[in-house]
Amino acid sequence: MTEHPWWRIGRRSLGRNRRRTVITALGLAFGYFAVVVLIGMMLGIVSEMVESGTGIVSGQIQVHAADYLPDHSVYATIGGDAGTPVGPLLDSIAADPAVLAAAPRVYGGGLVSTGSATAAASLMGVDPAREVRVAQLATAIVAGRLPRPGERALALGAELARRIHARPGDTVVVVAPAADGSLGNDLYVVAGVFKSGVQPLDAGTALLPIGVLQTLMALGPDRIHEVAVKLADPYAAPGVAARLARRLPVAGALVQPWTVTSPELVEYAGMMRASNWIVLVVVFGMAIFGVANTLLMATYERRREFALLLALGAAPRHIVRTVVYEALAIGVVSLLAGAAVTVPVLVWWHRAPLDLGRLFSDFTLAGALVRPVLKTDDPGAWSYIAAAALLVTALAAAVVPAFRAARVPPADTLAGR
Amino acid sequence: MRARWAAAAALAAALLAAAAPLRAQSAREIVDRVDRLLRGASSRGTMTMDVVTAHFSRSMEMQIWSLGTQYALVRVLAPPRDAGTATLKAGQEIWNYLPRVDRTIRLPASLMSASWMGSHFTNDDLVKEDRLIDDYDIAVTFQGPRDGADVWELTLTPKPDAPVVWGRIVEEVRKADLMPVWARYYDEDGDLVRTMEFSDFRTMGGRLVPSTLTVHPADKPAEHTTIHYTNLEFDVGLTPDFFSLQRLREPGR
Repeated sequence: MTEHPWWRIGRRSLGRNRRRTVITALGLAFGYFAVVVLIGMMLGIVSEMVESGTGIVSGQIQVHAADYLPDHSVYATIGGDAGTPVGPLLDSIAADPAVLAAAPRVYGGGLVSTGSATAAASLMGVDPAREVRVAQLATAIVAGRLPRPGERALALGAELARRIHARPGDTVVVVAPAADGSLGNDLYVVAGVFKSGVQPLDAGTALLPIGVLQTLMALGPDRIHEVAVKLADPYAAPGVAARLARRLPVAGALVQPWTVTSPELVEYAGMMRASNWIVLVVVFGMAIFGVANTLLMATYERRREFALLLALGAAPRHIVRTVVYEALAIGVVSLLAGAAVTVPVLVWWHRAPLDLGRLFSDFTLAGALVRPVLKTDDPGAWSYIAAAALLVTALAAAVVPAFRAARVPPADTLAGR
Repeated sequence: MRARWAAAAALAAALLAAAAPLRAQSAREIVDRVDRLLRGASSRGTMTMDVVTAHFSRSMEMQIWSLGTQYALVRVLAPPRDAGTATLKAGQEIWNYLPRVDRTIRLPASLMSASWMGSHFTNDDLVKEDRLIDDYDIAVTFQGPRDGADVWELTLTPKPDAPVVWGRIVEEVRKADLMPVWARYYDEDGDLVRTMEFSDFRTMGGRLVPSTLTVHPADKPAEHTTIHYTNLEFDVGLTPDFFSLQRLREPGR
């Protein structure tokens, strides 16, 4: 295939002042690198937030009775007052290939007291073996252990334990309004203390074996308030939730993905996506002036060449094409150079996140715990968007120089006037 | 003639003086009297409490003691599952005794508005912490015949910065004997939260009292809690020493 002469002229022009070409290309390549890495980093923060926001306790999908939210009524159990056999319900959820694990839960509100100190607490009845596969909360034990199934024991949030001066091995009283109207109360051994990093959980939650809490609250074994589901891919949650809703063996249950139960996370992710565009526009907006300046200088230096071409019969559009092709060639070279650096850096950074834990502590954002770890995520389509933006930048930068070159007066220029 | 006028003036003055206590029965005094009706300086009694909800119905028998607004003790006598459970208010503190685990625990202030024993009463209702006349501005918003009785309708609105939970309370009180008929409790948005009805007016402990109180939550029309006083004695000579943690744990006293 024969190379088009105007393209060849444009491409060869890159070699006329190699230092200038290299500097221009490096500027664009660095712009590409900066945009893709910054976006990868922001996606990494969003990913960390989603993982944390859904992984600590809620799971990526939750199943409730339709009337459970927002009042969290103790009576609003899945399957109504009669409940539903929990085993078949969990089996039907676990049968979905996207589901990693599912855990049943019972919730209540009450008091936890050591006698000398008392605090209000959210009581969470869990199946320990299943819960550790769904919620990081169950694995965040910092002293002692999780209570075993059927054991009259509990695990307290670290701040709650501190407030009531309880330690593993101590006995505490738990008081909770029961479903039959009575005041459930019993003694439990503190099996362990957990620290999730999420203040409301650490300051106000006690984990009990699910059957033990059901007994305290006069709820039968078939009565649970929630099933939390963990998925391999959090972003698949809406689709999986729709599938589960169709196949659940119980009527009237509500299956909700995290995108519904945690709208603040969705909004934050949306805001980060919007800020990706800002990064893109700012970086390449700055680059466009640098490239335009380079091309203006290059075309000014070649005024006589353009004048000669025009004098020999070249049309102004041919001159425009030459300059545009030159800019495009710079863009392609920059893109190749940028991608050659960006991809390995992204992969390395993704595999070896930068842990800033020594400088900053964990913090909560949009209800999710965020670790001070800088990592990058696969920018996916943003790599292509940034590549397109780079080429558009190069082309846009060529517009003014190209038209100026095409308007060179041949006779005057060749005469040195 | 002058003597007749003087006699008439004296008679009129005497009649006015006699009528003065009635006219001076201000809205504030009416509410204060109703507020103290079931409490007295000190009181002792027994009552039953029936709770009907969409999910359960239960009945309890209780023994009660009170001294002013600062002290109260309520002990559950039946059913057996709850017998011995007791609540003590002493000053600003609320304590519960749980016989099943033989422990006494102090109730955090944040749970004062929580349901008591599954009923539609809150912990705050049972220990009656509020003094209505201190915390509310009171106005007579209706007086005259209604449902066959001559009544006052009193509207209580919270004073600025008063630490109360209600946005407004409206009470109806019979003029003839100052017995409350009903009280409606509204939230800060002006929505009705619950209605308390008073009935079965009887003389107990030497004073006329409504021996039955029924509370209906506005958002659950089919549910209600009814308290029926089976025995009440007033001014029984209780002292603050009576309301101790030791007493809280002692059944049968």
